[in-house]
Amino acid sequence: MWKSAFSYFISLCLLASFCFVLWVVVSHDYHWEAITPYRANLLSGWLTTLWLSTAALVLSIIIGALLTAGQLSGQRASSLLCRIYIEGIRGTPLLTQILIGYYLVANAVGWDSRLGVGIVVLSCFSAAYLAEIFRAGIESIPQSQWLSARAIGFSEAQTYRFVVIPQAVRRILPAAAGQFANLIKDSSLLFVISVQEFTMQAREANANTYATFEAYLPLILGYFILTFPISLLSRHLEDRFHYED
Amino acid sequence: MRTDLEHVGKRYGDTRALADVTISLSEEDQVVVLIGPSGGGKSTLLRLLGGLETADEGALSRNGIEFPRTEPELREFRRQNGFLFQAFNLFPHLSALENIVLPLVEVHHWERNAAHARAEEVVERFGMKAHLSKRPAEMSGGQQQRIALARAMAHSPATLLLDEPTSALDPEMKAEVLDLIEDLCRSGQRIVLSTHEMGFARQCADTVVFLSGGRVEECGPAKDVFDHPCSETVRQFLSKVMKW
Ligand SMILES: Nc1ncnc2c1ncn2[C@@H]1O[C@H](COP(=O)(O)OP(=O)(O)OP(=O)(O)O)[C@@H](O)[C@H]1O
Ligand SMILES: [Mg+2]
Repeated sequence: MWKSAFSYFISLCLLASFCFVLWVVVSHDYHWEAITPYRANLLSGWLTTLWLSTAALVLSIIIGALLTAGQLSGQRASSLLCRIYIEGIRGTPLLTQILIGYYLVANAVGWDSRLGVGIVVLSCFSAAYLAEIFRAGIESIPQSQWLSARAIGFSEAQTYRFVVIPQAVRRILPAAAGQFANLIKDSSLLFVISVQEFTMQAREANANTYATFEAYLPLILGYFILTFPISLLSRHLEDRFHYED
Repeated sequence: MRTDLEHVGKRYGDTRALADVTISLSEEDQVVVLIGPSGGGKSTLLRLLGGLETADEGALSRNGIEFPRTEPELREFRRQNGFLFQAFNLFPHLSALENIVLPLVEVHHWERNAAHARAEEVVERFGMKAHLSKRPAEMSGGQQQRIALARAMAHSPATLLLDEPTSALDPEMKAEVLDLIEDLCRSGQRIVLSTHEMGFARQCADTVVFLSGGRVEECGPAKDVFDHPCSETVRQFLSKVMKW
């Protein structure tokens, strides 16, 4: 009784705040014509963000999987190195990592592609979080499953492939999907090395027109179109991999 | 097939799980039952016999050939056996059918169609055909254990090793599973099993091994061990568990 009243109250509060925010946003006096000349720029920025996020997403999964493998390898040196990497990346700001990656590291090896460096730095950053998500998922599979697999005669590789990973995927998905959405939004920080991505284009439109809201509001829609499908896909995959424990 | 254990010992840290175990199992010992108090070393002995672990001391041999010690050889050795644990055996993400088919295909290199046919044959024999497409969570404990048993013996293992296969089941399911194991015993399958079901041990065992404190207290034909135990420990244990 109290519980349902409470959840009713919460829903009402949420709905009211949502309507209020929506009303405030919608009722603002906009001058969309101010940013009309920048439409093409915004679109090309959005496409850049789409492309660089996709590339970074794929690369971060690969690096994340390698880091997880390194941690679980049982070799002390490699698991220690992976740990240090993960803690180092997770404990420091992405902004400085991007600056160091481009102006110091890429410069030292003579690589000059801002977009390329951006993708790599973003992947390395996101991979540290993914590695922890993967590791937690794999370690959550009970020891009895390993024992069963061993008794059957599976090798370690077969155990991962047929027993551990298929079960871990479902547990990993929600957190991994969240990390992918973060990666897309974090890509906006690449403005510090002047990658012409979505947020960068909005900043420029704003700087030239002083139409702040008109320049930045499209970001809401643009990023949501990128992150929402990931959410949907993750839900879909969770259903597909669903089974009772 | 002969299996010989000489002065076998196994430690886990400071615990001596097995000490100075010497037993000889001959061709006639088709059904061997391990009994004894909790912590006596039954599971440990089964794991050694099945190649899931290696002994710290002593020697195990099969037909005069020493048990392997390296992981690839051990894996090959394990593939010749079938193992069933107390519970939580099956892979929860796979259907009953897939649980049986997967090892046949991936470990024993059967054709998928042949593996399917074999799985259906075994499961039919176990009266579980209607449940083939269910996942473990959709089956009762007894049904899960029957599927696990089907998986353990689908590849016709040389020896079936069963570690307290019915301990986690309620009495009715217990009976279902014990009936199946009795059938397997009758059909000539070599079985080593540990159990707390004394009635079953007495009825089906050719040889009974009594383990206590990691040592073999008594080893011999079921009739002798149950009716005329030599050791005082065995006598006390039996009178305690037989009381109810
Ligand atoms: N993996 C392990 N790590 C540490 N100690 C262990 C391990 N496995 C067994 N032991 C110890 O070894 C001894 C023998 O254990 P084992 O499981 O073989 O006994 P058991 O006869 O099977 O007992 P139960 O009837 O309770 O299953 C026990 O004292 C146990 O605590
Ligand atoms: Mg045991």
